[in-house]
Amino acid sequence: MDKTLNDKKSFFKSDSFRLFMGKYGIGVILFIILVALSIAEPDFRSSRNLINIAKQVAINGSIAFGMCLVITAGGIDLTVGSQLALAAVLLGEFVMKREMNVFVSCGLTLVITTALGMISGALISKFNMFPFVVTLSMQLVIRGMAQVISNAQAVSITNTTLKAFYQGKVGAIPVPVIILLVLAVIMYILLHWTKLGRYILAVGGNEKAAIASGVNVFWTKVMTYTISGFTAGLAGIILCAKTSSAQSNLGVGYETDAIAACVIGGTSFAGGVATIPGTLMGIIIIGCIYNGMNMVGISSYYQSIVKGCMIILSVLFDKVINKKK
Amino acid sequence: MKKILALALTLCMVLALCATASADRAGDVNGDGKFIVGYISKNTTDTFHGPINTYAQETLDALVADGTIDEWTGILDGLTDPGHQCDLADDCLSKHCDAVIILPAEAEGTAPAVEALANDGVAVVVVNSKTNNTDDLAATYCGSDDVYAGTLLAQHVVDNCPDGGKYLHIQGVLGNSAQIQRGEGMHSIMDANDKFEMVGELTGNWSSDEAMKIAEDYLTRFGEELVAIICDNDDMSSGAQGVCNDAGLPGVVCVGVDGNNYPLSMVKAGTMLATVLQDGVGQIAAGIDAVVALSKGEAIEKEYSIPFVLVTAENVDDYYTGE
Repeated sequence: MDKTLNDKKSFFKSDSFRLFMGKYGIGVILFIILVALSIAEPDFRSSRNLINIAKQVAINGSIAFGMCLVITAGGIDLTVGSQLALAAVLLGEFVMKREMNVFVSCGLTLVITTALGMISGALISKFNMFPFVVTLSMQLVIRGMAQVISNAQAVSITNTTLKAFYQGKVGAIPVPVIILLVLAVIMYILLHWTKLGRYILAVGGNEKAAIASGVNVFWTKVMTYTISGFTAGLAGIILCAKTSSAQSNLGVGYETDAIAACVIGGTSFAGGVATIPGTLMGIIIIGCIYNGMNMVGISSYYQSIVKGCMIILSVLFDKVINKKK
Repeated sequence: MKKILALALTLCMVLALCATASADRAGDVNGDGKFIVGYISKNTTDTFHGPINTYAQETLDALVADGTIDEWTGILDGLTDPGHQCDLADDCLSKHCDAVIILPAEAEGTAPAVEALANDGVAVVVVNSKTNNTDDLAATYCGSDDVYAGTLLAQHVVDNCPDGGKYLHIQGVLGNSAQIQRGEGMHSIMDANDKFEMVGELTGNWSSDEAMKIAEDYLTRFGEELVAIICDNDDMSSGAQGVCNDAGLPGVVCVGVDGNNYPLSMVKAGTMLATVLQDGVGQIAAGIDAVVALSKGEAIEKEYSIPFVLVTAENVDDYYTGE
């Protein structure tokens, strides 16, 4: 007995174990959560519920990918919640009031949210202002724009093509899941395979070193906010389809879950550290927490406590594992 | 580590074993032999929704204990977010709910949640405010007529300000059906009365704090010319009345809807003339009664209307519990 215990201790202390956990620890956590919830609640593992979760995480997932890039380059984007509202309101205006083509409307909407992301980024990098302050202010500006455009009235979305962005299916797979997966692949290529991705990691890791190496810090930072504007716009389109409504009070507080997904997925607030697969797993973990706790029947009063503790634990876990390594 | 794992797995297995099936029963729409109730709240933070959720928690727990229903989901927190309420509706379907009580966050945005549930044959009991598809898809609606509440607000002001004058309207969260309908009822009386002039119509987002800021601004602008502040709820009207009283203008008539504890205490103390009581607990009680009827296979009505009451110094003792 003593011998096996010692063997076990040495296994947990071994370099190969730490290396494995450092790289795939988040995946292991996700796996444990999934298995535990599946055992605790058979309804959780039903295919219907798993598809539900995949659908439910699409909006937060889309925001989180953009957020991940911003945080990696050393910033934060608090505008995303109001970007969602603006996107929805614009769609209500274009599709329902002006009866424009759905795809043209979505394109225009994305152009506008992307441009607003770019403005936030430019203000932050050009004038070296704090990202927190700039995006907090832009959040107000954008929410206000949504209220002005909609006159703070809700518009009911009856267009079936637009509703299909959430409710539609290709084969057995819901459209929002496809959007999320395609986005994940694009983001993976962007962050891990392209020059821009390496620049983002470099700027976040050590800005001075990046400047010395000839990285255009201004454009790198602007690009992260621009991409975040795009992904938030995309999430807004899905949210609009999901609620069949365009109104200016949608998406309040959505930045919290997106930031949480990034952090759980191993994105470091110190900048320079992030992986897209990690973020995707963070997104799924958040979705499983929301859905799983409802399935198991944990009182909603405790759910935010659990969520908060999960975030702290995952960051702590990351710290401990990577420090030892 | 091993012990903890073993403990966790044992716990999981015990939980899994707790789920056992029973015989056929009325109201079971998905054929699993059980009658499971879902409860999607609007939120768990507003003063108005606190007592509603507590009543639902106690009553549904008791119904499970005495076997009237087999299970319920616990209070699912809608976070005042229609998107999240749509997710919760999906969760209820995964939980094989046969009847779902829902308190919509938004008339438009929560409609897909009602639609998803109804499409799967689930009996949807809409409580407190309607979604735009409630009349078509819900099994029943238990709530109050918000247009009528709006007329009560306006009539109170007309009765107490015989000379007319300038008034301010502080709205709830824009786009919310309670906000729209209370405003509609209020305007139907005030607009027809040419003694009154509305000097502002702004949203206080149901929040006392925001309403107080608006009241301060308008008192600074209009001073004694302002005769009344009509608010879509009484968290806001009690805040506005507090501002007026502190500014030495207790004659400004502030009135709102809900009958929350603090506004009632002001009516009792004589620092505010009146408030319009919305019987939230009465609404959820009617909703749960409907669910019980469904579980017994009994027919239910399409709509249960719970009346609003104007609470003044004369009848405040009937409603204010003094806590």
